[in-house]
Order: sequence, then structure tokens, then C-alpha cells
Amino acid sequence: MKVYTRKIMTVMCLFAVVGILVPSGAWAVKEVKIGVIYPLTGGAAAAGRELRAGAELAAEIANNVMPDLPMAMAKNAGIKSLGGAKIKLIFKDHEGNPTLGADLAKKLILDDKVDGILGCYHSSVTKTVSAVCEQYGVPMINGSSTSPGLTQRGFKWFWRTTPHDKWFTKDLFELLKGLMEGKVRGVAKVPEKDLMNLASACENTEWGSHVSELIKDLAIVNYKEYGFKMKKSLLYAANSADLSSEVRSLKAARPDVMLFASYTSDAILLVKTLKAQRAQPKIIWGQDAGFEKPEFRETLGDSIQGILTRTVFLPKVVEIKKVAGQVNALYKAKTGNDLGGASARAFTGLQTWVYILEKAGSTKPAAIQAAANSIHISGKELVVPWAGIKFSTSGDELGQNVLGSGLIGQYQKEKDGSIGLEIVYPFDVASANMIYPFPKW
Amino acid sequence: MDILIGSLVAGVLIGMILALVALGLTIIFGVMDIVNFAHGEFLMIGMYTGLLTAQATGIDPLLTLPVAAMVGFLLGVICYYGFIKYLVRGPMVAQLLGTFGLMLFLRNLALLIFGSEDQALHRGILIGKSFDLGMGVIVPATKLAAALLSVIAFLAIWLLMNRTKTGKALTATALNARGARYMGIPTDRMNALAWGIGGASVTMAGALLVNFWSVNPFVGILFTMIAFAIVALGGFGSVPGAFFAGLVVGMIMEIPGIWDFLTYALNWDWMANVPMTSLKYTFVYLAYFIIMVLRPRGLFGWKR
Repeated sequence: MKVYTRKIMTVMCLFAVVGILVPSGAWAVKEVKIGVIYPLTGGAAAAGRELRAGAELAAEIANNVMPDLPMAMAKNAGIKSLGGAKIKLIFKDHEGNPTLGADLAKKLILDDKVDGILGCYHSSVTKTVSAVCEQYGVPMINGSSTSPGLTQRGFKWFWRTTPHDKWFTKDLFELLKGLMEGKVRGVAKVPEKDLMNLASACENTEWGSHVSELIKDLAIVNYKEYGFKMKKSLLYAANSADLSSEVRSLKAARPDVMLFASYTSDAILLVKTLKAQRAQPKIIWGQDAGFEKPEFRETLGDSIQGILTRTVFLPKVVEIKKVAGQVNALYKAKTGNDLGGASARAFTGLQTWVYILEKAGSTKPAAIQAAANSIHISGKELVVPWAGIKFSTSGDELGQNVLGSGLIGQYQKEKDGSIGLEIVYPFDVASANMIYPFPKW
Repeated sequence: MDILIGSLVAGVLIGMILALVALGLTIIFGVMDIVNFAHGEFLMIGMYTGLLTAQATGIDPLLTLPVAAMVGFLLGVICYYGFIKYLVRGPMVAQLLGTFGLMLFLRNLALLIFGSEDQALHRGILIGKSFDLGMGVIVPATKLAAALLSVIAFLAIWLLMNRTKTGKALTATALNARGARYMGIPTDRMNALAWGIGGASVTMAGALLVNFWSVNPFVGILFTMIAFAIVALGGFGSVPGAFFAGLVVGMIMEIPGIWDFLTYALNWDWMANVPMTSLKYTFVYLAYFIIMVLRPRGLFGWKR
């Protein structure tokens, strides 16, 4: 009996010694794998490059100590609650193709055994990828798809940080209202009849067709008392090689306001065609995406002066928010470009992943789910001008960040002769006088 | 009224360019009875040739036409001697699948070399300029120039086919290859020439199109389909047929514009909400279908 007890004691001592000698971190995860699905080739490749760089920068900050940066994730190397586990990003290219996106998500989950997914930019791809994640019970964070329907499906493994198109489109109508009420900086009160006639052209995938419906809805239902008329509302094939008949059809409707939802190559082609056809509405407004890409500005140069785009991030934000300025400097050193709507939101998407993992202290899906549903990230931590990140856990919008907000920018000539975006909405943070009406081409 | 005239003008202009696109297809078919499925890919190569030449040398994109024609001619001749020549010995289905394979090969080669991103020309004398024809009808300068050059190229090829000895030899080969061979016409060389001319005409069309149309490796299929519709409409093998059918197809593509004109002329609100622009190519294919059912040899066709 005595011998037996001693044996047990010895074994227990051995365990204790091993326990003391081996640091606890050695048992923890060494790295957390996040599958990132973006359009790295195809029509939206330009956006894809920005998205990738944004996510990579966030991972670099999370994996290293950067004491100067006033962000919680810059204070530790890796995820502290996971024993300093590093974030490892595995990029996949969905080419804007929803079916391919779903296949890639399956591969990431089954072959690469990722702990979570980030993506996918195109709402159509986000839709199929999130369905795969829901099926396998793998958490997915979406930073940049703005189709409202995505968070109305009651998914339990899907969270979206960016505000969606309904909010953004509402911003546009608020701006039009502001113009009619004389609230816009630098513009005298505009008679209602000057802004009544609207026409829209949106690309025909998930995102564009939803925006098209939203515009119609808001114009006719929500802002009825302003007498808006939807003169024309057309959808065109995404990645079109020629849009001249579409533009002529828009022009024929003689609208005061032209509204677009287009990805990069289409946005460039649209503006070129508008110019060639000398279309002369009073307002040209783009729903982000193509209208705020660096390529849009580089290719079209001075001719985009006066074009409005809704966005979630403008270089001007850097002047208002210190942390945005610091991250922008890092981003510029990495890519040569300023942060844009795509890169800033990809950055924020991955940042949210880091905070959720930190809070969860585990890579178990259930722990991540609980952490995501209860997280509250302060607006001070973010590069985007939002009040913070907090996901809705009830109602008809599950997983939607309720603290986001949008901006409307206008392309104007800066003092140094370059073309930049100035904030014209919200009115209280306007950074310049709005150009109205849209200047002659 | 400006809407209607604008649409008709646009239809005529694009029709002239489309006629040049279809010309190569009809020549090759006329001479050799081969349907070239890789036709759109030849066009895509023409577009890239125009784009890259303009970007590399800094000359105006419209002046890259001779380069594109040369590339197209060589491409056609190389395809003939390296590939088609062996293909024609096989059964009909081998010819069909063979040019289909050529299409896949060229497309994926382009994908490898140029990547899948859309590329477009943004600099040039005429790019971004437009003419005001009065009454609110605006014509983009690049389109007008491309249409005119396209007609000139078309005429040049028509003259070559009808007013030269070589052209006569080509026609003889087309009518009766064996008979032509007995008469001492080198039919093999004539076939190669048909491929060369066919290739050159379509790459020229490509170099003109790229002035206002963006290019990626997949752009070809759309034009293959349109060219088929034009050739079917005009009659397989008919050169003037290709020209008139090109204009007709250009007009068909402008049905949405005519619809808009009617909408505002009649002031019927429901008409404004019909998504006509999404259907512009549908009308072309519908015309193709109808002509195939009603008159399979086309409006001007002489080959049965």
C-alpha cells in the first residue's frame, strides 16, 4: 500500500515539474488562421489589392508591438489571451464569382482548417460564402459588403462591420433634402423642382440591383413629401465593355440627379461615356465602390470634379482622427496609396477579428460566437469615423454593426492641383464648399 | 427627336464597325467552308495589339491600324499553315471542334499574358472629344473615326476581292476549289490568304474598337456571337451582305434608344420602366434565330 502511494506521489510530482518547466504558452495555439477571400483578379482586382493590403496591415499591427499607435491590438505581439498566438492570413481569390467563392470557403474550412473567414467585398460572393460558413459553423466577419439583405437572413455565424446600403442611400436623400433646405455648406437654397427628377443605373449583381431597389423605395416611399420622381432606373451587365446605349437612355430621361452603383471598370467607363455624350445633370452621385477607387481618379483626372460618392472613409478623416492618420502613414509606406473605403474597411474587418479573438481567449467557434455577440469596440480604436462596433443580436438584422455611419465626398481640385475628395455630408463635418450644380464637362 | 436621331446615328456607326468584325468570318467561310469559332479571339488580339502599341509607342490609338492588320494577317496565315491545313482533311466535326480548341487556346494564352483585368485606352487625340451634330445629337469622336476607318478598310478589302487577280483567284477557290486547282490556281496559298485577310480585317476592327471599348481576354465571345448573327443575316460568304447586315445589327442594338424615343414621344410612363437596355443583345440573337429558321442562307447568301 505504501509503495503504491509513493508511486502515485512520484507520478504527481513529475506532472508538477513538467507543469512548472514548460511555460503555459507552449500549450496554447501558436497561430490563428483566418481565411481571407477577396477578388484579387478580374474586374474588381484593383479593389482586391487595396482590401488585401488593408487586411495585411491590420495583421502586421496585431502581430507586432507598436507602442505609438493608440490601439489595443498594437500593444501586444499576437493575441494575448491566446498566449501571443499570431494571426496568419490565408488569401484566396474569388474573381467576383459567387460559386468559386463558396468552393474556396469549403477548401479553407476543410483543408486549411481556418478558425474563421474574412471577406468577400462583392455582396453576391459574401452571400454564398457566408452560407457555407453557416453550414459548417465557422465564424465569418464581413467588412465591406453593403447589400442590406446579408444581415437579414438570421445567420448565427455572420457579422458585418460596415453600415449597409440603406444607410448610405438615406445619406444621399438627406443631402438632397439639405440642398433644398439650404443646409449645404457653400450652396444657396435650391428650389425643389430643380432636384426632383432622378435616374439611376446600377450593375446587375446582388449589390447593384439592391441599391437600385433601395433608391426607388426611398425616393417614392420614405421621401415622398419632397416629390422625387424616378424617371429611369436601369440595370446594366457588370463589367460591361460598352455602356453607350445605357448612357443615352439615361440622358433621354433628362434627370436632375444621376445615381450609380458600379464597380471600378464600369464606373470609369460610365463617366467616360457621360462625358463623351455630354450628359449634364445637376448632380452625379456614385454609391462608393468604383467611384472612390484610386484608379477612378488616376484614369479620369480633372473630369471627375464635382462628382459625389458616398464612402466610409476619406483622406480628410485623417485630419479629424489621429489614429486614422497614423494608420494611413503606415499604409502609405506599404502601398504608396492613401487609405480608401475598401482598405480602411478591410483593416477594420480584420481588427474586429483580432478583438473578438482576444475577448474569446479561444479558437473554439462557440467561444468566438459568444465574444462577437457581446463585443463593444470603442470608436477611438477605429480608423473609420464610426461610433464603434457593436453587433445587433436581436431583431431582423442579426450580426449588423449598429454603430457605423457613412460620409458623402465630392471630388474637388485641391490647392496643389491634385484631385481629392472633400466631405460634404454630414453637414457638421463638411471640409469644403460643395460644388453645385455639376460643372460643364 | 434628338433621342431618335442619336440612336440611329449610333446604330449606323457601331454597325459599320461590326460589319468589319464580321467580314473576316464571312471571307474565311466563303473561301474554305470553315466556321472559325476563334474569330472573336482574333478580335481580342487586335484590341490588345492596338492598346499595347499605343501605350508602348505613344502614337494615337487610331494610327495603330497597320500594326494590327499586320499582326492579324500573320496570325491568320500561321493558324492556317500550322493548324487549319491539317484540320480540313478531317471530317466536318473535327473542323468545328478544331477552331473551338483554337478559341480556347488563344483566350487562355491571352489570360496568361495579359491577366484577366479590364484594360482600356485613356489617352489619345480623340478620346473624350465629341461632335455636336446639332439638335442635341452628340457623337463621340472616337466612334465616328473608327466607323469611317472601318468603312475604308472594308472598301479596301472589297476592292482586293473584286478588282485584283488575287481576288479573282480567291473567288474561284471559293466557288470550286478542285476546278481552281486544275486551272493552276495555288488553292493552298489562296486558303492561307483568305485566313490572312480574314485575320487582318478582324484585328483592324479590334484596334478600332479598343478606342472606346475596354478589353479583357473574354471579350471575344460576345463578338463571335454578333459576327455569327451578322454573317447569318447577310448570308455566309457574302461580302456586301456582311456590310448591310452589320448595319442592320447595329440598328437592332439601338432598339432600346428607339424605345426611349417612343416612350417620351407618347409620354407613356410604363414604357420607361421596361429594361430595354438589358435586352440589346437579346434582340440580335433573336434576329439570328429568326433568319436561321426563315431563310438559312441569309439575305444575300449564295452558298447553300
